[in-house]
Amino acid sequence: MDDGFVLQARGIRKSFGGVEVLRSVDLDARGGSVLALLGENGAGKSTLVKILAGDHKPDAGEILVGDKAFDALDPIQARALGVRMIFQELSDAPDLTVAENISLGRWPTRRGIVAWRVLRDRAVAALDDLGVDIDPDAPVSSLRIGERQAVEIARAMSDQARCLILDEPTAALSGQEVDRLFEAVARLRSNGVALVYITHRLDEVAQVADRVEVLRDGAVVLERDVAETTRADLVTAMIGRTMAAVARPPAPAPADRPTDRPLLAFEDAGSEGAFRNVDIEVRSGEIVALYGKLGSGIAEVAESVYGLRQVDHGECRLDGAPHAPQGPHAAIAADVGFLPADRQSEGAFMVRSVAENMSIPSWPRMSRRGILRRSSEVTAYRRWHDQLGIRSRNEPDQLIATLSGGNQQKVLLARWLERGCRVLVLVEPTRGVDVGARLEIYDEIRRLAREGMAVLVATSDYEEVVQLADRSAVMARGRIVGRLEGDAITTKQLTELAGG
Amino acid sequence: MTPPTDTTATPATVGASPAGASGSPGRRRAVPETAALAGVLVALCIFFSITSEFFFGYDNIVNILTAMAVTGIIAAPATMLLIAGQFDLSVGSAAAFCGAVLASVAGSEGLGLAVPAAIAAGLGIGVLNGLLVTVLGINALITTLGTLAAFRGLTQVLTDGQTLGVNEFSGLGTSRPLFDVPLPVFIFVVIMVGFWLMSRYTVFGRSMYAIGSNPVAARLNGLRSGRVIFIGFVLSGACVAIGGLILASSLGAASPQAASGLELSVVTAVILGGASLAGGRGSVLGTMLGLLIIAVLNNGLVLLNVSSFWQEVARGTLLILAVGFDQLRIRLTSD
Repeated sequence: MDDGFVLQARGIRKSFGGVEVLRSVDLDARGGSVLALLGENGAGKSTLVKILAGDHKPDAGEILVGDKAFDALDPIQARALGVRMIFQELSDAPDLTVAENISLGRWPTRRGIVAWRVLRDRAVAALDDLGVDIDPDAPVSSLRIGERQAVEIARAMSDQARCLILDEPTAALSGQEVDRLFEAVARLRSNGVALVYITHRLDEVAQVADRVEVLRDGAVVLERDVAETTRADLVTAMIGRTMAAVARPPAPAPADRPTDRPLLAFEDAGSEGAFRNVDIEVRSGEIVALYGKLGSGIAEVAESVYGLRQVDHGECRLDGAPHAPQGPHAAIAADVGFLPADRQSEGAFMVRSVAENMSIPSWPRMSRRGILRRSSEVTAYRRWHDQLGIRSRNEPDQLIATLSGGNQQKVLLARWLERGCRVLVLVEPTRGVDVGARLEIYDEIRRLAREGMAVLVATSDYEEVVQLADRSAVMARGRIVGRLEGDAITTKQLTELAGG
Repeated sequence: MTPPTDTTATPATVGASPAGASGSPGRRRAVPETAALAGVLVALCIFFSITSEFFFGYDNIVNILTAMAVTGIIAAPATMLLIAGQFDLSVGSAAAFCGAVLASVAGSEGLGLAVPAAIAAGLGIGVLNGLLVTVLGINALITTLGTLAAFRGLTQVLTDGQTLGVNEFSGLGTSRPLFDVPLPVFIFVVIMVGFWLMSRYTVFGRSMYAIGSNPVAARLNGLRSGRVIFIGFVLSGACVAIGGLILASSLGAASPQAASGLELSVVTAVILGGASLAGGRGSVLGTMLGLLIIAVLNNGLVLLNVSSFWQEVARGTLLILAVGFDQLRIRLTSD
């Protein structure tokens, strides 16, 4: 491949329904180089890359590929020019094999019959180029998430991709998988591919990128070499104000320290195939983080508090009494709230309004004899919209799907504020949420704890543990392998305990 | 593009799209589907008023309303079921079965017992559908396709394949208590208004929207989805019983072939009215407009002397158009 490949966007403008999303934005992606594209949700980065991939038409500006200029691309054109995008949501065919997936849509044929050997050879070559060790004959559904992503990248590469756009590729990956992805990215770069890497995680920028571009409110606010950029520069550019890096919150005043007996307690608890010998206590006013990687059992412990999984050994206690809810409705009745990890598929009602999304668990209180008071929903909306700084058109009837990810998450948090609960269980509360909204969500969680709620956070993001937790338990392979408290909670300690 | 590549598009076309999450500030309000439907309805009315001198008269309008009453009574709960992501295809044969129960019990025990028996039959079918779907977890389409066939057969067994007369029961179907309008029209309007209020203002109705929109999230928010869907099927059974009684009453007989194909008319009206096959969307008001469009079209084609064969073609086409519009709407709002 030639190193001269250049994809440029010049003066791109785009509005949706009168709202300007991109205001004359430039972008340069060059062969053999990685451009990190940063910005909060709503900053316009998804719209920008969708324009490059041909999914949206810009209102103004031009796209230059090599020496050819275009007013707009359509998806087929973009693909023919070698521009390919890897989405967060995988678009593979899980029941087909790795080899079949790599050639998906362009299976080699001989007189109308699939040429299996060519198909397989092509897959082996593509996987080799990427430097990954995956069985080409395995069904994709048997692979881990990181491997499936690698198959998608291999698919794009074997289809002559020259510019690869990765949309938050590490969002769902475990630590080891992230390392492998970085290796693959480095390999693609040395092969002359132009990479655009969208991310929220600032530490990744220094690890993978050569240049960085930050978007805010639809305009480029920073564009320079990564070597000349500090983390603080990036944060300031993204949120438009300065902020301390990963820092512990100030220790609570002695009077605020939780002293009560535990509100939520696991005593030598186990659940078949998920976790065992788990002892955790969460007191009123306290934030306890369960840290571990994907599959370590943290999510399963969280689920058992909410009746999604039964504790079959030992015991879970709520305020001293045995707590074994038979389902979410029973858990809610016991004043337990739960924020699931997957906002799209488990959290939000996408085609319903923001007000309704905030209110559903509170419906029993908002209704009398089954008749719902619409005014209660609007009141709830007004109460939390400003308190949480939700950025929207400020109409209770606006569909939640039209909000950015961070704002959707705030709505889902508001759901439990409105319901009111004694114990709040949060699973990956800021996955896919940008820095600014993340800090606002942390502030709100801390405020809830101060007001006496017991908060249990299950997370695979160690920065989150450092910024949020009073105490932390580290899990691996279904067991607690270490405990940290107060200022002893550091990213170094956490990763060491979790087993690197 | 070759077909397999299309798999890349599927995640985005299912219900709400991730596109909204990408931060394009929401631009389109929910497309006012009902406004477009009302426009179509007005256009049809104007067209038929011009082409037929009989169309725009009191008697003909009452005819149109009478013709749609039974379909409408059953379409109201069907709308709620589709909003919750469920189907009831058994309505046609269930209505015939209720009529057959009425006729056969009336023959031996008298009307006093026959009417409650017919209503119990309708409720029983609803309970059966509801249990199969919620307890055994069989897909609603398959469940009710099965009960559709089974109860048509049972109706034949019960009537021995004959049309059974029902005497002294014409009041329900044919009496005209007010303004020379038949009783079924009033029942239809009352049920429509009832379901409309329920869908907007009760926890039960709103739960159906939530369940259809995202079943997993509905459970995580403490909604008792199984219970809600079960009640939905029972309500469908109750309305089917009322529809079956009206049919038997207005014909003065229970035919084993009564109400065949009713499920098609109901589903057409509901989807034309804006309820989405993807769940979570739709309204009773929209269904009302869908029913009116179908009834006006049927009526107008009769007045224009179009053969009934062509009316079948028109009905099928309308169903496909309605689903086509649904897909278009999903694509527009998720862009």
